[in-house]
Amino acid sequence: MPKTPLNMKKGSIDRSIIGFWLIGGLLVLFIVLAILSIAVPELKNPGHFAGVITDPSVLLTLGITMAAGLNAVVILILFGTPLAYALSRSTFPGKGLVESIIDLPLILPHTVAGLMVYLLFMSQGIIGAPLGNVGIVFEDAYPGIVVAMVFVAIPYYVNTVREGFETVPVRLENVARTLGASRFRAFWHIVLPLSTRHISYGALLAWGRAIGEFAAVIMIAYFPMVISTLIYYRFATGGLSEAMSVALVMIILCGVIFVLFRLLLKKKGDVDDRA
Amino acid sequence: MIGLEHISLQRGSFSLNDISLDVKSGRYYFLMGPSGAGKTLILEVIAGLQVPGSGRVLLNGSDITRALPEERNIGFVYQDYSLFPHYTVSKNVAFGIQMQGKSASDKDKKVHGLLEQFGIAHLADRFPRTLSGGEKQRVALARALAIDPSVLLLDEPFAALDPVAREECMQGLRDLHRDQGITILQVSHSRDEVYSLADEVALIDNGSIVQTGRPTDVFSHPKTRRAAVIAGTENIFEGVVGTTTGGMSSIEVPGVSITADGTFPPGSRVVVCIRAGDITIQKNGQVADCQENIIEGTVVSQIITDYTCTLTVRGPLQMSVTIPRKTKEQPVFQNGDSVRLSFSRAHVLVLPS
Repeated sequence: MPKTPLNMKKGSIDRSIIGFWLIGGLLVLFIVLAILSIAVPELKNPGHFAGVITDPSVLLTLGITMAAGLNAVVILILFGTPLAYALSRSTFPGKGLVESIIDLPLILPHTVAGLMVYLLFMSQGIIGAPLGNVGIVFEDAYPGIVVAMVFVAIPYYVNTVREGFETVPVRLENVARTLGASRFRAFWHIVLPLSTRHISYGALLAWGRAIGEFAAVIMIAYFPMVISTLIYYRFATGGLSEAMSVALVMIILCGVIFVLFRLLLKKKGDVDDRA
Repeated sequence: MIGLEHISLQRGSFSLNDISLDVKSGRYYFLMGPSGAGKTLILEVIAGLQVPGSGRVLLNGSDITRALPEERNIGFVYQDYSLFPHYTVSKNVAFGIQMQGKSASDKDKKVHGLLEQFGIAHLADRFPRTLSGGEKQRVALARALAIDPSVLLLDEPFAALDPVAREECMQGLRDLHRDQGITILQVSHSRDEVYSLADEVALIDNGSIVQTGRPTDVFSHPKTRRAAVIAGTENIFEGVVGTTTGGMSSIEVPGVSITADGTFPPGSRVVVCIRAGDITIQKNGQVADCQENIIEGTVVSQIITDYTCTLTVRGPLQMSVTIPRKTKEQPVFQNGDSVRLSFSRAHVLVLPS
């Protein structure tokens, strides 16, 4: 589908849309200013910044954050994908209630989300206790970070992927089934490949949400520190400049990952003519 | 072969009501009706994509009502062809064979044969988005036939085609049916398609079967007003039976009296149906071809196609008349011309109101 009107050359400006850009562009400017407010002071002192990004404790925290975010996304893909598919292909009484439950982490204060996760996964929690008996501990431990991240990222992944599944015409699945494919094989061969863009985007959103979580994570696992905890810790103990260096590292890393991801998704979308 | 016994199904505010059909092996069967009549839903019930609330679906005498779609071996081609957009043409055609678990060599051989048969071998590595409507249709047919289906269900397969591609595809389906003897059940709006292809037709309206039979019987002798409308009868009027003498009846239609074959109870309300092609037209002052029914009026509009011209004539009734276009014998009519319509009483079909 053309992204510009047919009579316009790519890259040329449609003057009728300039007004929209002038108003909406303020939001982009807002984000850019926020980034610059951290980046400019930091880059004026590159030695200090270099020292922070090579600090082993910062690197370790970054590694833990990225790994936990990735683990959370893997869990969401495993459990959230079937849920998203079931929601996209089902109508039943109470579906709205189920959807509202899934959306709850979106609107809850993060501390409330953290409290809920803590109560479930603490050593006396209904999930934490039995798993603690087999050696899986969540309080102040890596698994605690992951479950907190999963909890807050659920709606981001499930809703995005469900939307993707809903854009795949049911008729394609119907045809696949008349050709001998079971429901699962029709899903695997038809729906899933045609939803990779939404699945990838859902995973990216969930990952972004997960690695940025602070309140829910510290409720169950202050240690080992994730990057948001470290930034808060440095701010509280070392002041603004200490926090800003770590924050800039995070901004650069996330920015690079998001840009790369978008480039990959753009290439992936070339095959699907519904997009 | 395919049987539907008293199928009922509720989908939202729409329902299929007591649908019964019997499609014999090797027949080319059509479901014809207006949009939203439930034709596609009937196909989906047969394919197992919709589970009926009551009734049975039979395939070769076996009850398959509860069988899953993948267990039925029934080919299905949707109106939009529903080609898998992420697969090439050959992978689309191979899909069903792959699902059957056949060996790679068997699969390749079968796919190659089908691509050749449908004249799409040169498109094997193309993706659906690059194909024309006619090409897509051939790919969809090849894909459906790859599983050697016991019956082929076609949901308005010509709807998205231009006239040239439509003619080609109709010819292709006619050849396929003749050469392979496959049972086909097709949904259509078009009387032309039914006349060209069908052995039998069922007229569907609002979730119910209105009439079944051979196309010529159904279209020439619709049994109800609704069947006449679906069959495309152009001139349908309400009337009251006047006098009945000598095997003929006079039907009083507002503004005119129409003579029809048959005897009907005087005073009973009836529906009079006259096909546009059964009416002849002359300019006023000329002698009418048939003296049994003559109605005068004025030409108010014309729809001209390659071979015919359909005129709307307003007089005591508004009637449609279809005549061959541009023959030496055929005078040219202009809007505003005063004309005289005539038709035989044998061409007047009288139905209960």
